[in-house]
Amino acid sequence: MSGQPIWPRIAPGFVRAMLAGHSALGLAFAALIWLVCFTGSVAVFTQEFARWEQPVAPLTETVTPEAANIAFQAGMKKMPWAENVYVGLPTKALPRLTVEASTHAPDEREALWLADSKGNLLQQAHDRWSEFQGRLHFELHLPRPWGGYLIGLVGVALLSSIISGVLSHPRAFKDAFSLRLGGAKRLQEADLHNRIGMWGLPFYLVVSLTGAFLGLTALIVGVLALAVFKGDVKQAYALFLGPTPIDNPAASPPPDLTTLFAYVKRDAPKAHVDYVVVEHPFEKGARIVLSASSPGKISRGESYVFGSDGRSLGVLGYEKGTLGQKILSGVAPIHFGWFGGPVVKCIYAILGMGLASITSSGVAIWMARRRDKGKPAEIWERLWAAFIWSQPIAYAVTAGTALLAPPDAADKLLLYVWGGTTFAAVLLPAVMGAKLISTILRTLGGIALLVLVGVHMWRFGLVPADPVALAVNGFVVLTAIGLILSTIWRPHLKPQL
Amino acid sequence: MTFIDLLHGSVVEAFAMVGALALRAAWMKADARRPWLISGGWLSWLGAVIVGQSVWGGVLGIAIAVSLICMTGVLVVLSNVERRAGKMRAPRAAALEPSDRKRVMWRGWLRGFLAGPLAGTAALGVGLAIAVCLPGPPQTRMVMGGLLVPFLWAGGMAWTLSDNKIIRAACVLVGVAAVSLGATFLKGSIA
Repeated sequence: MSGQPIWPRIAPGFVRAMLAGHSALGLAFAALIWLVCFTGSVAVFTQEFARWEQPVAPLTETVTPEAANIAFQAGMKKMPWAENVYVGLPTKALPRLTVEASTHAPDEREALWLADSKGNLLQQAHDRWSEFQGRLHFELHLPRPWGGYLIGLVGVALLSSIISGVLSHPRAFKDAFSLRLGGAKRLQEADLHNRIGMWGLPFYLVVSLTGAFLGLTALIVGVLALAVFKGDVKQAYALFLGPTPIDNPAASPPPDLTTLFAYVKRDAPKAHVDYVVVEHPFEKGARIVLSASSPGKISRGESYVFGSDGRSLGVLGYEKGTLGQKILSGVAPIHFGWFGGPVVKCIYAILGMGLASITSSGVAIWMARRRDKGKPAEIWERLWAAFIWSQPIAYAVTAGTALLAPPDAADKLLLYVWGGTTFAAVLLPAVMGAKLISTILRTLGGIALLVLVGVHMWRFGLVPADPVALAVNGFVVLTAIGLILSTIWRPHLKPQL
Repeated sequence: MTFIDLLHGSVVEAFAMVGALALRAAWMKADARRPWLISGGWLSWLGAVIVGQSVWGGVLGIAIAVSLICMTGVLVVLSNVERRAGKMRAPRAAALEPSDRKRVMWRGWLRGFLAGPLAGTAALGVGLAIAVCLPGPPQTRMVMGGLLVPFLWAGGMAWTLSDNKIIRAACVLVGVAAVSLGATFLKGSIA
């Protein structure tokens, strides 16, 4: 079917050694890599899930600077304890005006309010599930900074697996379009593993590198601080924090934000202010940051810094600064796919799930190899099936809990529900085989997702006010049907010529 | 997303699809057209990137175009699934197996230590040395060095887990860590 190889010949001994390393690393980190890929694919839609959780919130396409200031001032009256304030301006992905206040540890406190287009605060926002699934992806709900370090290490392991995978696959181009299913289990899984791996390679390299970087940033900065700032981490971060007003804790009314918008408009007429951060809003030493993103750039936006008197202190340089600052500004949008609208988000989710399936097929190849050699790893087969197929149920049950639980329910409730569901599923290997576990959990996962949509409709109606909620419900129903059908349906395959 | 964005996206997708189909046609049959199909396929993908870049701007356009090319490739492969004949054991069925190493506990632990903490320290050392010693704005040096850390660590991990001569790997990693961290602490300033 194919002609002369165009890939340079690599010594079989080298390939075999690389395969051994690839296999050892993949197996050691399989569960964590799979979980990070799965949670990351879902986290791409964090903003959509926030809208789905509260589809009655007012949708606001644009707001005037005056309305943003009214919302901020009203928020400060409702939350006079605020130490940090985040005013979220409407964007295409999240068309809402929000005011969020928080305090520092140890007495951590936070509240989030939604406002209408005129800046009137209407109701408190509830996005517990969106926040839960996001934190599960970027720190596994472990204490800071250890969760981030672990995720960074998983990113490094994934990147390493990609490198060894490419080096141990000298027929990458020759087999580029070959996908044959059926026959020996190991060959089928290897075909899936290699094809999806090759075609998603640029994406996998980028997300694993940026993910590892984001997770390890605190560690890298910490060691740098040790080397050149006598351990003072603040000095290292100061290089990226931009101008800061002189600390002045004297009491002062919250600053007026209106004129600051005009300054940004003059400086960057095409930029859109995405959010405003006010540090110490009740002090004379308040620091105000307006983040404005320009069209056509992958960036979290340039940050304009002001003092409490409205005087400009300069910019952070995310769009106008050094190359390093520009790259740093693009890392998170590139990692999460938050740069090209819904189509790019869908591509990220599909390729992210592809990466999860590559991890899964890698484990399946190892298991099939063990079977072929007459040494089946039955317990591991059962545990693996239980773990990966527990997640659709765990996600559906936690999301349902978030919809039904009272707003003042314990912060850790969703984590306990997710952990309990996953743990219960992982007990199944004690009483049944891998195939039965897979079938039961996929069916239950599908049913749980359908029930979740039912709960959402019961709470917010068949057609919620926010159309994105309807789209999310439709997608969840399709996923549920796909899960259930996958237990009974096998696609028709073209016979091999 | 506007209608115009969708229109531009369709053009980029068309280039991506033509490229993938041309390359698949080249892969299917080795005849006189093959070099033309290969070069045409890659040129078509280049066209997708150029169109994306001109429509959405430098970095954003390339990112969107590459995402679409990846996705299209996966779709073309998935839409051409074949059923493997049960008895047919093509040459690829005899794919290479991982090398069968003897299981020695101390080697396993040493390999884990090399791939984890030692490769990590060496990578961190090189990243910091770049951040501290190279010329240019400190923010750029820090970000470049920081981005290199996971990449170098991953490379070191892949190498130490694959190389049968682990003492050699240990010596190289210790050397790299000592030199790079030494340079960093000796300079002792980011300025």
